[in-house]
Formats: sequence, structure tokens, C-alpha cells
Amino acid sequence: MSGDRPTAAMRQVSWAWVGLIALAAAAILIPLMFGGVAQLNLLVLVLLYSSLAQAWNILGGFAGQVSLGNAAFFGIGAYTSTMMLIEWNLSPWLGMIAGAVLAAVFAVIIGYPVFRLGGHYFAIATIALGEIMLIMFANWGFVGGAVGLSIPFIRGEDRRPADSWLFMQFNLNREGYLIIGIALAALVTVIAILIQRSKIGYYLRAIKNDELAARTLGVNVLRYKLIAIVISAALTAMLGTFYAQYLLFIDPETTMRLELSVLIALVAILGGVGTVAGPLIGAAVLIPLSELTRSALGGAGNTLDLVLYGGLIIIISVFQPNGLVALTRRGGKGRSTALPTDRQEAMAEEAPLLGGGDGR
Amino acid sequence: MSALLEIHGLGKRFGGLAANRNISFDVNEGEVVGLIGPNGAGKTTLFNCISGFFPPSSGSVRFAGQDITGWPADRVLHAGLARTFQVVRTFPDMSVRDNVIVGAFARTRRLAEARTIADELLAVTGLEYLAAAMGNSLTIAEKKRLEITRALATQPRLLMLDEAMAGLNPLERAQAVELLRTIRGRNVTIVLVEHVMEVLMPISDQVVVLDSGAKIAEGPPATIVNDPAVIAAYLGGKYRPRLEATDS
Repeated sequence: MSGDRPTAAMRQVSWAWVGLIALAAAAILIPLMFGGVAQLNLLVLVLLYSSLAQAWNILGGFAGQVSLGNAAFFGIGAYTSTMMLIEWNLSPWLGMIAGAVLAAVFAVIIGYPVFRLGGHYFAIATIALGEIMLIMFANWGFVGGAVGLSIPFIRGEDRRPADSWLFMQFNLNREGYLIIGIALAALVTVIAILIQRSKIGYYLRAIKNDELAARTLGVNVLRYKLIAIVISAALTAMLGTFYAQYLLFIDPETTMRLELSVLIALVAILGGVGTVAGPLIGAAVLIPLSELTRSALGGAGNTLDLVLYGGLIIIISVFQPNGLVALTRRGGKGRSTALPTDRQEAMAEEAPLLGGGDGR
Repeated sequence: MSALLEIHGLGKRFGGLAANRNISFDVNEGEVVGLIGPNGAGKTTLFNCISGFFPPSSGSVRFAGQDITGWPADRVLHAGLARTFQVVRTFPDMSVRDNVIVGAFARTRRLAEARTIADELLAVTGLEYLAAAMGNSLTIAEKKRLEITRALATQPRLLMLDEAMAGLNPLERAQAVELLRTIRGRNVTIVLVEHVMEVLMPISDQVVVLDSGAKIAEGPPATIVNDPAVIAAYLGGKYRPRLEATDS
């Protein structure tokens, strides 16, 4: 009977685990095989963007609230830990927590009014909020303004740059960044899976499907949207701290520009919105592609990135609106294959019965 | 003991239009109450005022002894009053089972428990064979049945159904009536909106008739069908003298 049949959610979860294990295996094996700095950099970026997209997905995918301003949370995370490090010499691990809390508070303050807007207006409002943050930080002298902030090197006894787990900085043996990247990606993925399988996940999907119907079933829509944006913002901010420690330099452009927000959303959309495996697949495809074009085309690559993103959005929306993850499902065409076989059998049984009624 | 649902002097204005005017009636625990009236009589507006979709402009709604006037919809649901929609609002990209699980989460935080509630109700309403089908793949009759199942999963004391029979063929309609009897057997009070009188009459204990936003009659079905005001509302005022003539 249909009770034993795996549901769509269960299939997604198992694919997420497959993706996660594959990523982890690739992350460990590839640097061992090639050992190059470039490969390691690419892997860290894939992990970072898959995690950012996963965090975006909780709000944009599960709850259907498309944000094009998630870079603002990313920037808050990067700036909070960096300022705490520079001003008070506090560990970025503490800064990571502080940044997450700050981003969560910011998310509630903006979410409360902005969630009153429906559909595209929400997306537009998030673009505006991201841009406001960018301009504010670019003109705020205390945080370095448009010039940005450099994170001082951790130095060993010989006064040369060194490694430190406490200060999340690896100048000699950069595999440390990879390990932290894997840990963060695992954390974000596990949180996404837990949400998907909980009351919150069901309520967010209900809100995405039909807000009014969700309300009649007792869902406090605003409250659950706020929960989604708080989790998304906090996780994005944590990744911002990691990024600051990875680059050891931040400015408003690298941490808060609109293209970053768009790329985060695009990774999730390419992979498959609202699925846990989607962001992992999306990042594994898009980030190497974008790095390749950048290196192949040199200085011109920067704007060609945008051409690539735009082209991809068109291709996805025309040919694969459910994202690459839908290719893994039966038939590979997503929504239309949603009819399980027992449904078809049931319809076949029903047909003669209903024949009389239809012929009236 | 007072009634489960008490509507007192309820009114709703949209600008210059009075969609509901001074409507009062009670629904007792365990009853099936039919709410009828021609199109535009204000039935759905009344539903929306009771279930928290718009605040009423005047009057009060009491449910289980509590004043719930103007409460938001999700709070009304948690008080034990569930509803369905005239135009079905199934979650299209969720399976039938997941649709019902969303309803069940109104009474539990745990997924395992919500699943148990959902599976039990899918068996009761006869939808278990569709459990894995997606919401958007159902027929209208199945979607209406799913909406009722989903509302039942919230474990309401009162279920308000907005045109649960509209758009169904005769066989499906008979099945829907059977379902209502089952629901009633589970100690759920039912308020049923319908503009087709014949559907409602055999299963209702009480009928409330609305016309042009006001209550024009109330009573058991047998009395209602012979009420001159009701006949006038359905057939038009010019039939009233003729009916009165044949009566005498």
C-alpha cells in the first residue's frame, strides 16, 4: 500500500545525504590527489556557496520568500567578527556567534515590515535593503569605509605568519580552511534536513503553497516566516565570518554586493529550490564553471560572469524549472511525474464507476 | 448550557455595501446547521467574519463560551473552529499525506504523531489510496475531500464547510453526504454553506436562510422549504402573492 512508499520528502533527504557524502569525499580526496592551492581554493568556494545557498533555501526555497539581499547578512557576519578581532582581539569563533545573533536581530527588524509585502515586492525590498547596507558600510569610517578592513596575521615565535585554530587562520597549511568549510557545510545541511522534517518545515512549505490556506490550518504565517529568515540570516552571517577569515580582507563590495546575493539565490535555483540536495548540486556545477570562465577570460571574465548567470537563469526557467535535482527523479521532468503508480491504478479502477456520472 | 457557536447582531460593511446585516443565530454542539441563500446573500462573508478572515463591523461571535470576535484566523483555528474554502485551496506541491500532516501539526509538535493522525484520517475519509499523490493531481471532488480531511486533522469542535458539494457530480455528492454523516459521528459540529437546497435538507438539523445580507428565516428544514420569505428569495418576489393565493 501507499503507506510503505517513500514520500517525496524522504527521497530528497536521501539524495541530500548522497550529495553530502560525495562532496565530503571529493573535498578530502581531490586535494590529496592534486594538492594544489587552486584546487583547494575552488573546493572551499564550492563549500561556501553551497552552504550560503542552503541557508538561502530555508527562506527562499522552503518558505518561498525569495531574498535578493542575503549578502547583507553575510556582510554583518564578516564585519562583526572582524571588528571584534581588531578592536578587542577576540577569537573569530566568538565573533561568528556574535555575528549570527546580530544578523538574526537585524532579520527580525527588517522581516517584520517587509513580510507584509507579497511576491515580487518582497524580493525588491530585499534588494533595496542589501544596497542600503552596502552604501552605509562604504561610508562608515569606523568600519573602514570603502577602503575595507585587513585582518592582522597570526604570527609564530619567529614573527612569520602562522596557523591558529583559535583564530581561524591558516597561513601555512591551508587545509584548515577546507576542514572548517566542510564542517560548516555539514552543519548547514543537517539544519536544513532537520527543518525539512519538522513542523517548521511543513509549515514553511504550506506557506509557500498557499498562505491563506495555511492560516486556516492554524499557521501563524508571520511568525514562521520570521523563524525562516532568522535561521537563514544567522547561518549566512556565520559563513560571512568564515569568508573574512579566509580572505583576511573585507570591504563592502566583496561582502555585500548585489551580485553576491544573486549568485547565492542562483546556486539554489540551479540545483533545485526547496530541496536539500539542490544547493549542493548547484554549487558543485556553477562555482567551478564561474571560476573557469573567470580564469579563461582574464580581466574580462568579471562582467561575463553576469552574462553566464543571466543565461543560466533563462535556460533553467525554460528547460528545468525544478532545478538539476529534478533530473535525479523518475522521468526527470519534475512536477508532471508526481503521479505515483498506485494513483494511476486507482484511477483505472475508478474510471468505469465514474463513467455514468460523466456521461450525463 | 449555552450554544457552541453564538452569532449575535453580526454586521459587515464594505464601504457602502452591507454584506451582512444584524445576523444572529446559535449552533448547538453536535448539530448540523445549514446556511443557505441565493448567490450574493452574504454566506461567504459571514463565514469569513466567523473564521477570522475579516473583523466584523459590528456584533459578536462567541465560540465555546469565549468571545472570539475579530481574532486572527490561526487563533480561531486553535480555539477549535476549522473551515474549508468554496474555491479549493489544496497545497499543490505537497503530497496528499503532507497536506493532512500540516493540519495535524495544529495539535502536536512531533512529526511521527502528526503522521499517525493524518494516516488515521485519510482512512476515515477514504483517501488513503491517494496518500502519495501530489495535491495538484487530484480531481475537484478529491480536492474537496482532502480539504475536509485536512481541516479534520486540526481536531476541530466545529467544522465550517463552504460549498463542499458545489461542482460535484451526483455520485460524488452522495459520497460527500456520506462523509458528512461520518464526520458527525465523530462528534464534530458542522456548519454547511450551500446554495443548492436539496443537498442540504436531508442532513441538516437546522437551516438558516440569508438574503441580501440579512437572516430571513431559521428553523428545521421541513419548515424552511414552505416559508414564503424563503420561496420569494429564491424564486423572486412576484411568486409570493401567487403562492399565498394557492395557500388560501
